[in-house]
Amino acid sequence: MKGMLRLALAGLLALAAGGTTQANDALKAKIGVLRLSSSAPVFIAQDKGYFKEAGLDIELKFFDAAQPIAVAVTSGDVDFGITAFTAGLYNLAGKGTLKVIGGMSREKAGYPLIGYFASNNAYASGLKTPKDLAGKRVAVTQVGSSFHYSLGLLADKYKFKLADVKVLPLQSLSNAAAALKGETVDAALLPVSTARPLMETGGAKFLGWVGDETPWQLGAVFASPKTLTNAPLVTKLLAALVRADREYHDVILASVKDGKAEINDRTKPLLEIIAKYTNLPVEQVVGNCAYIDPDGKLDVKNVGNQIEWLQEQGFVDKGFSVDAILAKEYVKAD
Amino acid sequence: MPSARFFMLERPAQDTRSDASEAPRPVAFRGEGFTPRAGRHSGWIALAAVIALWQLADSAGWINPLFLPPPSAIAMAMWKLATSGALWQHVYWSVMRIGSGWIIGTIAGIIVGFAIGLSTLARSVGITFISALFPIPKIALLPLLILWLGIGEEPKIATIALGVFFSTAISVYSGVDAVPRNLIRMAQSFNVPFHAIVRRVIWPGALPSILAGFRITASVALLLVVSAEMIGAQWGIGAFVLQAGNLMQTDQLLAGVVILSLFGLAVGKLINMLEARLLHWR
Repeated sequence: MKGMLRLALAGLLALAAGGTTQANDALKAKIGVLRLSSSAPVFIAQDKGYFKEAGLDIELKFFDAAQPIAVAVTSGDVDFGITAFTAGLYNLAGKGTLKVIGGMSREKAGYPLIGYFASNNAYASGLKTPKDLAGKRVAVTQVGSSFHYSLGLLADKYKFKLADVKVLPLQSLSNAAAALKGETVDAALLPVSTARPLMETGGAKFLGWVGDETPWQLGAVFASPKTLTNAPLVTKLLAALVRADREYHDVILASVKDGKAEINDRTKPLLEIIAKYTNLPVEQVVGNCAYIDPDGKLDVKNVGNQIEWLQEQGFVDKGFSVDAILAKEYVKAD
Repeated sequence: MPSARFFMLERPAQDTRSDASEAPRPVAFRGEGFTPRAGRHSGWIALAAVIALWQLADSAGWINPLFLPPPSAIAMAMWKLATSGALWQHVYWSVMRIGSGWIIGTIAGIIVGFAIGLSTLARSVGITFISALFPIPKIALLPLLILWLGIGEEPKIATIALGVFFSTAISVYSGVDAVPRNLIRMAQSFNVPFHAIVRRVIWPGALPSILAGFRITASVALLLVVSAEMIGAQWGIGAFVLQAGNLMQTDQLLAGVVILSLFGLAVGKLINMLEARLLHWR
């Protein structure tokens, strides 16, 4: 009987949704995302129909790097972008071609995302903790990337100079992993998904997680100024995302222990959705759950710090601050 | 167009007929054309016109400067780079890598190319290997090159040398193949020793095609410096271009590209001089 009632309710909802979409001529939008679990709420909202219920017709466009998403938002190929902050994104935002409207994944203690890894030789000769990275040769993907910034935060925390570290940009994760395995660098910053196969085959040693050492706001939701003129679209999209953020936080993140989410009756359906969109088996998804604020809040103070750091390093053009790149009417500050 | 061609074909026939009946009449010289020469100034004038139009389009606001920065912004970025001293570091490292990679690749390519051109065994084995290995994109091999050679200068130079090697080997053996056989036969009939035939007949005969190959390989080396400097380079024009791309600093990106094309122009001039010196007998 309850099932019948639920069905009827769903039918009514669908009808109502159909009604609203007709009235609004269906608010269509494209979101650019990466196939990473740090965008999990987007996948949940899409798969469970939260966007549709909000009267939105959302198409997901998948990219294979963070930078092109920011470029695609600027050029109008996608309406919204959800990915990590990069120096390139700030440079575009500084020119006013996109604005941040909400928070996404974060580096937070207890939720492994990016880690510091040592080569076997370097580990054997005394590189045992992240603090020891001072003065070492460290591989990152690109200058001004999340990995580079994480290293900068670590340098601030342990009071060593980033200039003392030899930062080697190798352009891709596979190159960085190869350099670590081939003992040509002492250490590398890698995401857990790249590092796990390396550790399992004995190609690298684990030093620590960035989230445990220096938590920071990794990802965000952003849109072009043109998209922002469509207030109903932005409001509905953010509401649907927050609904998914909340569910992801309460179900999956609440079950994380020792860096891994539990697989049980409650978490399994959501984990399967994430697995479907990231093309990973559920067993790998559980160890790869980025922390996301349940209310979609953004750590504005940290974003300001990121911009200042990148400007200091010369990676981001000077002359703008965090206020210039936020769409204040939408951002919920932490 | 076809009708014009027919007309030209029919013309001589008409002429012969008219020759028979009338007195010979003056005919304009027809042996002109088909000898293009590079004008001294027209290339630069065209370049200046394009740059002026580009600047105009940007200052008039027809183009978003983020998508295509104006020439003035690119010049500004280059000026900043030059005054900060970073430019010379970048140029020094890139020239070092391009130079050593090109020289290693060229020497190996000439040796292998001559071997293929002169020996049956080397030909049958060599051509197979070159055809199989030439089309492999060197960028796809970067992780392997890092494992084999580390991230020092070796993999960067190896990337360039590999790209240069295959093109050189191919242009050398086609050059050797193109040396007129009757010249070789004549030398043989005068009982000239093998090494002298190679040095006095085949080498000068193949040289024009080898130098044409240099033109291509020099550009290949410039193209590959960007991929080579993907491997953990802190300095170098390629590294600079990559970093500017990663950071979406489009004016600096284009400044790096302009420096690379200036390299290309300089190398082209250098090869012109080399051709003038080595091929003066032509």
